[in-house]
Amino acid sequence: MLIPVMLGVIFLVFFIISLTPGDAASMILGDGATEERIIELRDDMGLDDPLIVQYGRYMWDLLRGNMGDSYSTGRSVAGEIVQRFPNTFKLTVTAIFLSVLISIPIGVISATKQYSLFDNIGMILALVGISMPSFWTGLILIIIFALNLGWFPSGGMKGIMSLVLPAFTLAIASTASITRTTRSSMLEVIRQDYINTAKAKGVSRRKVITRHALGNALIPAVTVIGLEFGILLGGAVLTETVFSWPGIGRLMVESIQRKDTPMVLGCVIIFSLSFSIVNLIIDILYAYIDPRIKANYT
Amino acid sequence: MKDHILEIKDLHIQFNTDEGVVQALNGIDITLERGKTLGLVGETGAGKTTTALSILRLVPRPPGEVVRGSIILDGIPIMEQSEYEMEKIRGKTVSMIFQDPMTALNPVIKVGEQIAEAISIHQKLSKEKSLAKAREVLELVGIPGNRMQEYPHQFSGGMKQRVIIAIALSCSPKLLIADEPTTALDVTIQAQVLELMKELKQKFHMAMVMISHDLGVVAEVCDDVAIMYAGKIVEQGSLEDVFLRTKHPYTEGLFNSIPNIDDRKAELIPIRGLMSDPYNLPSGCPFFDRCDYAMDICRTEKPVKHSFSDTHFTECHLYTAQPEFSLKSKKTKE
Amino acid sequence: MSTPTTTTYEKHTLNTKKKSQWLDVWKRLKKSRTAVIGLILILVFLMLALFAPFIADYEKDALGMNVKERLQSPSLTHWFGTDEFGRDIFARIVYGTRISLFVGIISVSIALSLGGTLGAIAGYYGGRIDNAIMRVLDVLLAIPTILLAITIVAALGASILNLMIAVGISNIPGFARVVRASVLSVKDQEYIESARAIGARDHTIILKHVLPNSMAPIVVFATLKVASAIMATSSLSFIGLGIQPPTPEWGNMLAGGRAYIRDHMYIVLSPGLAIVLTVLSLNLIGDGLRDALDPKLK
Repeated sequence: MLIPVMLGVIFLVFFIISLTPGDAASMILGDGATEERIIELRDDMGLDDPLIVQYGRYMWDLLRGNMGDSYSTGRSVAGEIVQRFPNTFKLTVTAIFLSVLISIPIGVISATKQYSLFDNIGMILALVGISMPSFWTGLILIIIFALNLGWFPSGGMKGIMSLVLPAFTLAIASTASITRTTRSSMLEVIRQDYINTAKAKGVSRRKVITRHALGNALIPAVTVIGLEFGILLGGAVLTETVFSWPGIGRLMVESIQRKDTPMVLGCVIIFSLSFSIVNLIIDILYAYIDPRIKANYT
Repeated sequence: MKDHILEIKDLHIQFNTDEGVVQALNGIDITLERGKTLGLVGETGAGKTTTALSILRLVPRPPGEVVRGSIILDGIPIMEQSEYEMEKIRGKTVSMIFQDPMTALNPVIKVGEQIAEAISIHQKLSKEKSLAKAREVLELVGIPGNRMQEYPHQFSGGMKQRVIIAIALSCSPKLLIADEPTTALDVTIQAQVLELMKELKQKFHMAMVMISHDLGVVAEVCDDVAIMYAGKIVEQGSLEDVFLRTKHPYTEGLFNSIPNIDDRKAELIPIRGLMSDPYNLPSGCPFFDRCDYAMDICRTEKPVKHSFSDTHFTECHLYTAQPEFSLKSKKTKE
Repeated sequence: MSTPTTTTYEKHTLNTKKKSQWLDVWKRLKKSRTAVIGLILILVFLMLALFAPFIADYEKDALGMNVKERLQSPSLTHWFGTDEFGRDIFARIVYGTRISLFVGIISVSIALSLGGTLGAIAGYYGGRIDNAIMRVLDVLLAIPTILLAITIVAALGASILNLMIAVGISNIPGFARVVRASVLSVKDQEYIESARAIGARDHTIILKHVLPNSMAPIVVFATLKVASAIMATSSLSFIGLGIQPPTPEWGNMLAGGRAYIRDHMYIVLSPGLAIVLTVLSLNLIGDGLRDALDPKLK
């Protein structure tokens, strides 16, 4: 599934980007370029070929790891992305780990104590959490923890301390929604007959939750973790902008502002590829937590 | 005094919901001798499952609330135990088989482990030893031991119910509660599972509460029968008492509404109407508006217990009014 | 076969059933305190949007620069303070409400009509048509929603129309999936069979029988999506790809105020809160609706 979907994604993004008005050749050459130079470069770049031919050429290059050169700096797009990717990876993976670590226990406790004070407060916070735009949360965290308390730097990427605020900012929304999913699937699971079976054989209340309920409740939670990762990658664009984090997201925004199409194209492709790979991992993870799926594979 | 495994006295349970209070149990009395089987019969909503769950103290709270009453299980007052003590009782002194085998097994845990879990909890055995014992129990219910490693979805409905029986019996409980154990199964499988249960009951000398709405099943396995209606036991007695010397109009109605194998031409007479709204039980006899024998007093006053022998009693105004009364049913013999 | 009497009879019973169903939903919705808070909040925002000209003057208060009064803290004359150009932040938030709600609703309408049509066709016809549509949507789904929107705006150029198109298109797959799922869930019901039996045409069946009966999840989803479309609008404006200054929009107000947070934090406080409250109120309503439509899930 991964390969046909990625081919489709690249084609789609390639098509959308090609709608960009303005002539790439004159942009690269700048204002002082002569008409002949522009025509010559257009010819070189094959800009007058049909779109499908240009796409084929792009794919051919892409297979060999070449994503073209930046219009504004002339540097290799692939090189730039390879250089920046680890930063985005660090940020998003930290954020998703934070989310999972916080949300699963809160969701489980909320469900086992439905309508308690803990549950009510937790659910209100979760709802507020999914309603906060990450770029605003980021600004507020900067004001409190960087500008006033001075605990963490307000931006840039120097050491572990600079990771804290952006990772938290990015984690808030996904924490909130994974908490909500965990709670609701847990609520559904603890009403199932097999939970009564477990209780009836004398399993302790704690083990009923951890061993019998959680394993089943995680199945929908894992789906949401996968989806949240996509939202998180999108959020990285904003969070990286707010915290001047040198990742793919910020690269993409800067490239859009500079009308650097090959770079934008590269960024979207790498984001989508990451998202697809995460979903592939989630699919594999499913087979581990749900034996019914394993049966379908064999 | 006889040695009773289970004594339930005056048990009242209600459910407090958003829509109002449901009076699920309204004064249940049950006594059961060791090794005997009681059939608990009634329509859906009569309170059979609530009675069963209350013995394990598994009625969900909230919304469930025990208003009053006591349950003595094997000499232990259930209502006064801590949750921790209850965990030691469940599965060891009493176990339960649930109605739907399709949903009663945990889909993500291997069946062998699900059986072994009860063994390791109550017999404090190592994992290997519990699994070895689980294998024995599984073979006892007629499933090859090599299927230990499989998951519930790999079993058929009848096989699942066998696994559930294995779980319930793994620690040789003194009382087994079976909540309609065969209702969800095919007829042919039903007979097999019933046969298995009868056999195992004798082998372990267990007492059993068999919940069912199927009088055929009850006749097959039970010593005593209790008929439930709207949270009350309206008639209780030995199998012969209830089947041959039927006293309560509702019991009679149940018999008239099942097909008779001996007389296939016999007409089925359904009980008219529906069970009373559990949110709003009538002040008199709850069966009043469906009863062919209803009198004025039935509308206003709750009937009290009327005994015919040490074991056989009913709650019906007919017998307080006319002690010699007898139902005119065409199906009731004698 | 279908005599007028039977059809009117059928229509009559269906309509009363539907009416009482929505009345029940409304009754249950009113019982939920959180949903009522959400309704009140969104009503306040709708009023602000509707009566904006009576609250503040667009040209003078929201756009008119006044260097003498720049960066003033909140006071009685300027409730939320003034921005870096001396414009009244309250007035700008009030006019920003218009844009946010407008863009949110229009882009969800675009997504609903396009995605809904695709989903209804896929769900109703099934088979190859379903397969083809779903594969194309898989491609769209592989690109994180906000990134797809960013890419589209980046190519088309930043304007309110392009913004709505971008947010609308990026939400198509979500709506298609939800509509398809609910069409699938009612498609084989007996009343559809009977409509088919009396010779109703496909589009009549879809529009008159299938869609009205599969409305519930779609309404919930649309409510929640208006919330996320508003969030997306401000996100895009924040990175300069949405509503362009000086037009007041919550996201671009935050972007403009960002440089002044060290000494004037109020400048980013109120626009952010406006986003949070709008999005929160829609999420509250969406949650309340879901519980009201499906009481067993509670």
